[in-house]
Amino acid sequence: MDKFNELMQNFERSVRERMRRRDRSGWWLALAPVFSVVLGLLASGLMMLFLHNNPITVYGQMFSYSFRDIYNIADVFAKATPLILTGLAMGFAFRATLFNIGAQGQFYMGAIATVVVALNLGTVPAFITLFLCFIASAIAGGVWGAFVGFAKARFNANEFLVSMMSTYVAIAIINFLVRSPLKEAKGEYPQTDVIPSNSWIPKLIPHTRLHWGFIIALVIAVLAYVILWRTSLGYKIRAVGLNRDATRYAGINSKKIFVIVFLLSGAFAGIAGFTEVNGMQHMLIQGFNPTIGAEGIGIAILGNAHPLGIVLAAILFGLLKVGGNLITQTSTIPSSIINVMEGFVMLFVILSYFIQDKITAIKSKRKLRRGRAVQ
Amino acid sequence: MDDKNDIVIVLRGITKYFPNTIANDHIDLELRRGEVLALLGENGAGKTTLMNILYGMYQPDEGEILIDGKPVKIHSPHNAMEYGIGMIHQHFTLIPVHSVVENVILGIRPRRGERLRIEEEAKKIQQLGERYGLEVNPYALVGQLPVGVQQRVEILKALYRNARVLIMDEPTAVLTPQETDKLFQFIRDFRNRGNSVIFITHKLNEVMEIADRITVLRDGRVVGNILRAEASEKKLAHLMVGRDLLVITKKEATEFGPTVLEVKGLEVLGKRGTKAVDDLSFTVRKGEIFGIAGVSGNGQEELAEALCGLRAVSKGQIILSGKELTNKDALSVIQNGVGYIPADRQKEGLITDMSVAENLILKSYFDPSFVTYGWLNQRRIQSTAQQLVNDFAIKTPSLATKVKALSGGNQQKVVVAREMVIGTELLVAVQPTRGLDVGATEYVHSVLIREREQGRAILLISTELSEVMSLSDRIGVMYKGKLLKVIPSQEATVEEIGLLMAGVVEEDDG
Amino acid sequence: MTVIIGLLNMGVRLSTPLMLGSLAEIFVERTGVMNIAIEGIFLMGAWAGFVGAYLSGMLWVGFLSAMIMGVLFGVVYGLITVKLKQHQIVTGVAMNIFALGFGLFLYRVLFGIPLLPLTVNPLHDLPIPFLAKIPVIGKAFFSQNIITYLALILMPVGYWVLFRTRLGLTLRSTGENPEAVDAAGLNVERIRLLAVLGASALSGLAGSFYSIGYLGLYTNGIIGGRGWIAFAICFLGNWNPLGALIGALVFGLADALAVTLLTSGFEVIPHEFLIALPYILTIIATIARKRFNVPAVLGSPYIKERG
Repeated sequence: MDKFNELMQNFERSVRERMRRRDRSGWWLALAPVFSVVLGLLASGLMMLFLHNNPITVYGQMFSYSFRDIYNIADVFAKATPLILTGLAMGFAFRATLFNIGAQGQFYMGAIATVVVALNLGTVPAFITLFLCFIASAIAGGVWGAFVGFAKARFNANEFLVSMMSTYVAIAIINFLVRSPLKEAKGEYPQTDVIPSNSWIPKLIPHTRLHWGFIIALVIAVLAYVILWRTSLGYKIRAVGLNRDATRYAGINSKKIFVIVFLLSGAFAGIAGFTEVNGMQHMLIQGFNPTIGAEGIGIAILGNAHPLGIVLAAILFGLLKVGGNLITQTSTIPSSIINVMEGFVMLFVILSYFIQDKITAIKSKRKLRRGRAVQ
Repeated sequence: MDDKNDIVIVLRGITKYFPNTIANDHIDLELRRGEVLALLGENGAGKTTLMNILYGMYQPDEGEILIDGKPVKIHSPHNAMEYGIGMIHQHFTLIPVHSVVENVILGIRPRRGERLRIEEEAKKIQQLGERYGLEVNPYALVGQLPVGVQQRVEILKALYRNARVLIMDEPTAVLTPQETDKLFQFIRDFRNRGNSVIFITHKLNEVMEIADRITVLRDGRVVGNILRAEASEKKLAHLMVGRDLLVITKKEATEFGPTVLEVKGLEVLGKRGTKAVDDLSFTVRKGEIFGIAGVSGNGQEELAEALCGLRAVSKGQIILSGKELTNKDALSVIQNGVGYIPADRQKEGLITDMSVAENLILKSYFDPSFVTYGWLNQRRIQSTAQQLVNDFAIKTPSLATKVKALSGGNQQKVVVAREMVIGTELLVAVQPTRGLDVGATEYVHSVLIREREQGRAILLISTELSEVMSLSDRIGVMYKGKLLKVIPSQEATVEEIGLLMAGVVEEDDG
Repeated sequence: MTVIIGLLNMGVRLSTPLMLGSLAEIFVERTGVMNIAIEGIFLMGAWAGFVGAYLSGMLWVGFLSAMIMGVLFGVVYGLITVKLKQHQIVTGVAMNIFALGFGLFLYRVLFGIPLLPLTVNPLHDLPIPFLAKIPVIGKAFFSQNIITYLALILMPVGYWVLFRTRLGLTLRSTGENPEAVDAAGLNVERIRLLAVLGASALSGLAGSFYSIGYLGLYTNGIIGGRGWIAFAICFLGNWNPLGALIGALVFGLADALAVTLLTSGFEVIPHEFLIALPYILTIIATIARKRFNVPAVLGSPYIKERG
């Protein structure tokens, strides 16, 4: 019990320290994301005018509908679930200054693995099936990612390009599989059969789409945090990311780190395949969730590559998605408005980083001019 | 008394703020025609910043510049060059993968209709070089030229643009004593033709040799402006530092302990497959500082990397207290008790975005007292870090402060503290006082001497001759990968070492 | 035999946007800036080209619109990464996500939901009088459309500009050592910004080739990652236009092979594999390439007055 309290105290202290130590000025730090979202919504609202829609009525309807019942609120977190994981995939790798652009492909590989396991374990008790699906998706995504890490470690290949291309290869694989070997018994559409009910992730809130996968995603986020800041592995990962030369002199094998990072990063994305297939879709459909990889990148950026920030950013994106869907249902605005909103929000966040840096610089110059040196 | 027409450049009230400091604080400066002005100050005094303002690379926050009596605004180096000001930076602004010609003509805007003819330009450059005694092959790739010749290219860049004021920032840092003489010859010749030179340096002996007048900067302010005739090294040192310099006292040791490091016939290949270290042999004993002098680029870097486990050894052996360390990886070397203070602390020795505590354990992540089953023992880390901060008087607001917020001297203290813990058998120090101010330099020297007295074996590799000579018990000079001669420090003279650094081995008389 | 000639012809045709895109990327990366938004610019170029051509009835208006659209995107990307010095990958990804939605969105704004897909007559071929009669090569290279000819000419011209002119020297120096360029009195930011704008215009044109130069329509999957292939070709061609020319032709051929086998109905290999062929090739090539001459400061913003 003592150990637990101590852990909690340490955690609290470190969070407070971290927030204090942040280079960026305090009040702006808290408000900036809010401002960016507001500006993003404003800009998207302008776009709506082009379609002869009044953005005020549109947003008004969106807000009233989303809070009307529990279904939509729960949907936000359901949509956020895979985004947390793909965001973690990118963010975790980013800590080692590695660019894992292949989360979409690792997601698909995880999805394939879990579907194959689920379809073949018809009568096994649910607990075991879910566990095996989870493991399978993590391994599939991990291996698919580790390949990129290995290419970087062994051949010094550019991981940005290799990971990006690996996604397209994964898409090809999944398209092939749903076209023939895994195709549904009916043979009508490019999708698999529905997976048996013993491999469905139970719901967190009944009569909504929110399932326990959300909790799993949160646990993974905590895991990522713990690894990075509480273990020697995480220390090495961050060291390699911040100054690779110095780690050479310290005897840290950065190549091994590359492989491990991509393994874990890919596993995170692969687990998103588990949550989507076993939790939401209950089958594998060609071309499903085509943008969560790219959105994961955006979320990692918004979340400053920190697990807590990523979770919050993912929920934000979930909000945008649910809201966007409601907009398409209640007006003539097409679903592409979601990507427009996401893009605007991200751009405004980037601009806010710039403003933060500028404010810090002006502040310190002003202090110096008054004759007091800053330390 | 001074004829106003004689004054080429006036800087008045120049002020420049940077994120955490006032780099230039209302500086006044004058430069006359046909004069060599030394701008003296220790590292961080603001000399380079001031000259960058004069050269148009930085813009001053306050103050004005007058050229030939008229106020001017220098927006860019292009402006500066139009006024006849050229600058040779400390870190060369050359492009290694391009040729000499391509580097010299970079940025020159051609007159209308003039096409690029490399051959013509090359010829012009060659003739220019011959006129000033700065010969160079125009088609050579700059990256393959020795550093002394690269500097000639930098000078030619300025001469090509008809500079009449040359600003030189620490030009002798990369030269042998003999090359320095040649450079000084050029400077005198340039001055005698009616031009002016601003010579930035922190080396007092050079100032006394080349300057006509000296302006001393300290903490961003002008603290002195005297003619060379009225100056002395002691006076200048006092102005530079604000107090008298500490004299290093080292007890002369008569006997040393057993051999700790033995290097036998070492051969290490360099970046292009050439022998960077060639049949090198030496020993370091307990309680001894063995110093390796030499101009940078003669294999010291590769030797240090090989000792660290970062570069492969193709022939020969490295033996530490009887244990074979040849070609073992960096981690093994660290675990065998070799500490390493690198030449570039920010790149090789520290992770500036990590905290002081995290940097202090950079080489202890495998140590079971700090890590159990992969889990970091935070309490142990914090207490050890606090101990080191106290022992080495590291000035930092907290253990969690990012290292990049510390001053250069304190950053180096973090490296030194950590390596003292690691280097139980041997300490390798490469350029340990590079870029440090006098106070920090004195501190590092005192630590090295203290450790020596307590019996530690230390290998010192430095291009600062005075540092090597005052700290070492024995001195070896490295030239083109070979150790030319090893001399006990009491018998060493600057002349002999200078010649050895240039590769000249004198015949022993008698 | 005719199949092979047809294949070569299609290969050169499909390599056109890859040539233009990779040349654009080479020029901008030589100054040290990666144009990560290239995929989004391809997409917006395809859209703008289609809209311009459809509404005006003239293809050249479309191509011009595509270039203008490219420049608009380039302005935003350039300002944020060069002037405001923000992270290039982050900004590029944001703009790509944005472009995804924006293109579709604007299409809907302009055309609503048409019953039949809207089409435009794409470029027709202009065979060059004598050269087109040469066996094999004639059909492959000299029976093409005007944009393809433009691309084939621009590649060697680009090489010449980059390595034989003062402008090229300045560009290359900016990506190797911007301090040196700064010290020589040139404005690093301006050079980079102009390079970004030029590259974006060219990339916009490249994207429009898919919609109005080849297919004659616009859908949101029309680019499908080919902007990234152009990006990769810049890399694999060692930042040299001649290397990129070869790379573009190889990938164009792979694409053509995939399409041909697909439409011929042969199922020797699952056709998804063929579609994935260019991407697999890129992976192999990225791994196999031993030494790259990366511009030294690629990806880092240039910060003057670092103190």
